[in-house]
Amino acid sequence: MSETIVESTEETAFLDLHKKFVEENKSSSALSAIHESALSRFEMLGFPHSKHEMYTYVNTKKLAATTFAVSNPSAKIDLIEKHIYSGCENSCLVFVNGVLDRSLSKLKDIESSVKISSLEEKSDTDTLLESVENENDVFACLTNAFCSDVTVVEVPDKGQVAVPIQALFVSTGNTSLPEMHSPRLLWKVGKLAEVKVIEKFVGMQEGYFTNMVEDWRVAEGAGVVLTQVQSDPFGAWNFHKTRVHIKRNARFHSANASSGSVLVHNHFEVRLEEEGAEVILNGVSVLKGKEQVHNFIRIHHEAPQCISHQHFKNVINDEGRSSFDGTVIVNQGAQLTSANQLINNLMLSDDCHADNKPNLMIFADDVKCAHGATIGQIDEDQLFYLQTRGLSKKFAKELLTRSFAESIVQTIQFSEVVKELSNTLLKKLEVENV
Amino acid sequence: MLEIKDLHAGVDGTEIVKGISLSVNKGEVHAIMGPNGSGKSTLAKILSGHPAYEATSGEIIFDGKNLLEMDAEERSLAGVFMGFQYPVEVPGVNNAEFLRMAHNARRVKAGEEEVDPLDFDELLSEKMKMLGMEKKYKERNLNDGFSGGEKKKNEILQMAILEPKLSLLDETDSGLDIDALRIVSEGVNKLRSENNALILITHYQRLLDYIKPDFVHVLSQGKIVKSGDKALAIELESQGYDWVTTAD
Ligand SMILES: Nc1ncnc2c1ncn2[C@@H]1O[C@H](COP(=O)(O)OP(=O)(O)OP(=O)(O)O)[C@@H](O)[C@H]1O
Ligand SMILES: [Mg+2]
Repeated sequence: MSETIVESTEETAFLDLHKKFVEENKSSSALSAIHESALSRFEMLGFPHSKHEMYTYVNTKKLAATTFAVSNPSAKIDLIEKHIYSGCENSCLVFVNGVLDRSLSKLKDIESSVKISSLEEKSDTDTLLESVENENDVFACLTNAFCSDVTVVEVPDKGQVAVPIQALFVSTGNTSLPEMHSPRLLWKVGKLAEVKVIEKFVGMQEGYFTNMVEDWRVAEGAGVVLTQVQSDPFGAWNFHKTRVHIKRNARFHSANASSGSVLVHNHFEVRLEEEGAEVILNGVSVLKGKEQVHNFIRIHHEAPQCISHQHFKNVINDEGRSSFDGTVIVNQGAQLTSANQLINNLMLSDDCHADNKPNLMIFADDVKCAHGATIGQIDEDQLFYLQTRGLSKKFAKELLTRSFAESIVQTIQFSEVVKELSNTLLKKLEVENV
Repeated sequence: MLEIKDLHAGVDGTEIVKGISLSVNKGEVHAIMGPNGSGKSTLAKILSGHPAYEATSGEIIFDGKNLLEMDAEERSLAGVFMGFQYPVEVPGVNNAEFLRMAHNARRVKAGEEEVDPLDFDELLSEKMKMLGMEKKYKERNLNDGFSGGEKKKNEILQMAILEPKLSLLDETDSGLDIDALRIVSEGVNKLRSENNALILITHYQRLLDYIKPDFVHVLSQGKIVKSGDKALAIELESQGYDWVTTAD
């Protein structure tokens, strides 16, 4: 046996695709360096086999074996207005097939407070390269190898962005030859700056793979509120890696609402790098049919007195499938850490499935950590209680499942998003067999 | 109004109620007393239609209808109300909204129009005031984190909103402090009329000083072993249950 890495046909197909991609796209030298580094990372990691740590509960075989075309960023799209939240009409970044479309983006309200660019500064390239070289998620490596642009959004020190920024990711989709889209973003939030961001994923038809990576650098004392709304059609894959580095006394609060598809994978890697940093990750999914949502989370407490909260809830019906694989790592020296992690699954059918692996790895001694996971059905006593007040069994069940999911939806700070989710995500609970 | 005839009932094949007959007419107040584990709450659960409890023989007729054939929600809509000994907590369901939904379910059943949130809020405020409940209980989730006494008050609030024909209050007095007991009892008395009836399950004579029963029954080992008037409750309080349960 030789020592050289022998790729399986799946990896070879992506390497060939990459050659084509490089030929067709004239990239800057900075971007080329990123592509190169990412590609060698990809070759080293390879697609997940059955015992892959990051994809234990996620079957990616079919995805890896799919023949993709690289996206066509100049595709014509229409009717994006309905996907722009009220309040974000003049603060929205529109990505078509993974690439920022300047003509569709409306930035009037944030022009003066936010700087939006491609990779221009050397320091940004360095940040990106560091991120790329340390990437352990093979799909994120693909994003880094296939992104035809990096969008850098910068909020300067003490910048207060008055309106929420919406980043809309629209895919045109292609049912005969699925496309792979690789949006790549870098958010830089300066000292004591405040920003709120809503990311939304939609598709005009099935047949695409949105494979996104975003880096967040949150400087001292800054505050970020991030909301992610995944609402792709069923036949679209959505892989999304959010990597966050948080400095002293800064806050990063996020909520993810996933409506599921053939395969949705949310990966959060958070580093609490300096004292007093705080992260909140909330998530909710409502799954029907064969929809899947998988969450993979690693939170690193690297400094004392940092706080991390995670609360994820899934409502799973039919043959839906979800998993939660989350580990909080409390480094030596990260004293007075406060960390908790809670996963609640509500199972509505016999054929649905949920895997949970909450985990704490603690190398400091003075810490306050808690974690737990529940898998349950509708509480019969609650159901009976509501019925004794005259509510029908069907209505009472709906009320209970809805309220289960609603508690996470209500943590979302944008009423427009909450309103929308009530009519989309939570509406999915109004079915005859719930 | 309510006719229970030789009712046998239990759970998982164990008989707990062992032949109870009881007749309740409009306007009456009945008190059921008896030692722990004698089957009082089981009788209440059977009456309210709990799916885990099964009547093995006997009949329950309410307003001419066979209650045992009705679902819990049908019984409620027909006018039966159960104030639970241990009300269930329902996190995530807002108390005021829940009360409005329950109120409207009853109205729809009666062929009336649903009440909108604003009008309902007025009704709710009035009833809460009657029971000495602070406004904050509107915003709270249904019984979620309520203290024992708060849960009992909330049960009576539901009774006030639903205006049932027959109410069964299972140890509503336990958990209430002296002032709350007085206020809640006065509230219950206000809800009484010659068209509705009340069954109180209690261990204490104290409650019966506020809400005067027409009949007092002693339940022991799944049977009514003695019935009488209010004087029976006074006797029980001073002498304990032994003299009735062993005399049987
Ligand atoms: N779900 C159940 N499973 C098993 N046993 C039960 C169940 N419910 C009631 N029992 C039993 O039936 C008997 C009667 O219980 P019940 O709750 O009706 O008593 P009670 O008269 O209300 O008592 P208390 O005064 O303490 O409230 C008890 O022995 C109890 O343990
Ligand atoms: Mg009892």
